Amino acid sequence: MTELILQALFSGVLIGGVYALVALGLALAFGAMRIINLAHGELVLLAAYMAYLVESRTGLDPYFAIPLALVVVGAASWALFLLVDKIQDHRELNSLILTFAIGIILTNAILLIFASDMRTTSSPALQDAVSLGDVFAMRGEIIAFVLSVVLMGVLWWWLKSSWYGRAVRAVSSNRNAARLMGINPARIETVSFLVAGALAAFAGVALYTMSVVQPATGHALTVKAFIITVLAGVGSIPGVFLGAVLLGVTEALTVTLASSALQELAGMVLFLLVLFLLPNGLFGARARRG
Amino acid sequence: MVRKTSAIASATLALALMAGVTGATAQDASKTEPKTFTIGAHMPLTGSLARSGQAFNEGMQVAVKLCNAAAPKYQVKIDLIDDESTPAKAVSAVEKLASDGSVAIIGGYGSNIIGPASDASDKLGKVYITAGAVSDELTKRGLKTFFRINNNAGYQRGIATLIGDLKPEKVSIIASTKEAPALLAEGLEKDLAAKGIKVTVHKFDPAITDFKPIINKIKLQDKPDIIMMSAYENDYVGIIRAAKVLKPNVKLLVGTWSLATPKMYTEFPDLMNNVVGTSFLPFPVEVKSAEGKTFADTYKQMYNKDIEYLSTLSFVETMVLCDALFRAADNGTLEKGGLADEMRKTDRDSLLGRIQFDATGDNPNFSLSMGQHRNGKIILVSPKSAANGEIVYPGVPW
Repeated sequence: MTELILQALFSGVLIGGVYALVALGLALAFGAMRIINLAHGELVLLAAYMAYLVESRTGLDPYFAIPLALVVVGAASWALFLLVDKIQDHRELNSLILTFAIGIILTNAILLIFASDMRTTSSPALQDAVSLGDVFAMRGEIIAFVLSVVLMGVLWWWLKSSWYGRAVRAVSSNRNAARLMGINPARIETVSFLVAGALAAFAGVALYTMSVVQPATGHALTVKAFIITVLAGVGSIPGVFLGAVLLGVTEALTVTLASSALQELAGMVLFLLVLFLLPNGLFGARARRG
Repeated sequence: MVRKTSAIASATLALALMAGVTGATAQDASKTEPKTFTIGAHMPLTGSLARSGQAFNEGMQVAVKLCNAAAPKYQVKIDLIDDESTPAKAVSAVEKLASDGSVAIIGGYGSNIIGPASDASDKLGKVYITAGAVSDELTKRGLKTFFRINNNAGYQRGIATLIGDLKPEKVSIIASTKEAPALLAEGLEKDLAAKGIKVTVHKFDPAITDFKPIINKIKLQDKPDIIMMSAYENDYVGIIRAAKVLKPNVKLLVGTWSLATPKMYTEFPDLMNNVVGTSFLPFPVEVKSAEGKTFADTYKQMYNKDIEYLSTLSFVETMVLCDALFRAADNGTLEKGGLADEMRKTDRDSLLGRIQFDATGDNPNFSLSMGQHRNGKIILVSPKSAANGEIVYPGVPW
């Protein structure tokens, strides 16, 4: 039994790391601009297809697709921001509808260009089993987890220490006050969307190396990222990581101790529980109390 | 004067030409121009089932081409609507197709979509045929216009025969909670238990991507001889990958639909070797019937690839429908609801074997062979009557 639980915990932490990577971009846009980007999963998916493109055309490791994914997803994210920025009234609600529609367009564009087939890495190195004592994982999962932790640290440092990062937090806190302090909110929001796009690019490539992607995957990714963002509490980067790992571990333990059919249900119960007990999310509430 | 003569000559020529054209048209019409029938179809061309829908569409288009080539008196036109993998869109597609004059409907994929869509079709009095819904519930509704060429029982029989012949002590079934895989798993559990085999079923939510916790449970607790997967393509990849990482001590991985296909081997060569799935043709394709050969050649010509599992299913259903449609048209009963009667009279050979429909619209003859991936080839290994090679057992992809 111990071996089973250890493997479940290990798998849960690893998958949680990848969930966090997927959710980071959504959390940043939500935290900085109060915009729930419902096309975020599709941006992640777009990056995954860039990884497929590079691997299938050149035979290179999918991680070599990161520069291409950064350019393509960054451009898509910027275009998305330009459209969102046109909204004059009820920005939060209208952006929700707009990004949802863009998500559908992106899904169908991917379907048209790449067909409906499943795609995943064919690199044996990334699929090899790695054992740490009695627990096992694919090498691709370990790399994706490490990448997630590193990017989380970089993003946390950027938000805390860089001028742009502080400006993002200032705009998020009070847009008008930030403007009075000489910050250009539109510029800062553009930067936030571009950084969110960059995070989606890394997430998509990592996802491709450890999982199967197909055009319909994007929507599920958005839902998962949204749950994690709410679990974490708005604007909390460590919260995103902990929320994602908590979700991953809950799902894996549910499979091990109860039934695999209940995995998604367990995640949703956790989500509702946190919303009920801590309406501002795990870390949002703590910050407010502090 | 010259101008006047020229004008008269031109007018005469024009009249002569017009008369000629009219005459020719009248003559052509008297040669009985082929009568065109529109068949409606809804397929999941986008959404989560897009891959299945597109493969279905390919088989259907080939069948229509062959039907039209073989019938000088009639022509068939397909009116295709994308149901976006959702039941509501499928229902509205059926209503639209019927109101646009389709004489019958070819259904898409997934029991949960086919159910309401075929209900709507029945209310509108349109014959509905499918090759993409195997749930037992569909044929218990007593619909007079519903027909299908494949069913859960056929898949169950194929898999149970293979596993029964291998005589394992224990089998673990990993089953998606979607309707068709869940039903298949339930049926197999009963079949195998009746043969004295200990069976454990692990149902999983279709949203799962990491199968390691399930495989680890199987490895450490169940310790089976065979892992059976009642699932879909993306699940197979996740399950086999997890098994490759954890390496449970099993002798064989068996799956269901869309697994023993050349496409799966081409896309996932490192995962497929020795894996067994339901099949009706070996690969490289060895088609013996004339219809099968024509299908394979035309398919290659149209899509530049070898025929695949789902395309073959939709090819057969469309051919069956065309046959019945032309018979009803010949008998002059089409306008009087004679298509359903002609469908019930169907008795023909096909790539899937003999096709007949019972009172519920089901094909009682449907049965599948089991094919094993073997270094890029698919060898039929069960039942013995259809086998073209011996099974590699024990045999796993790692």
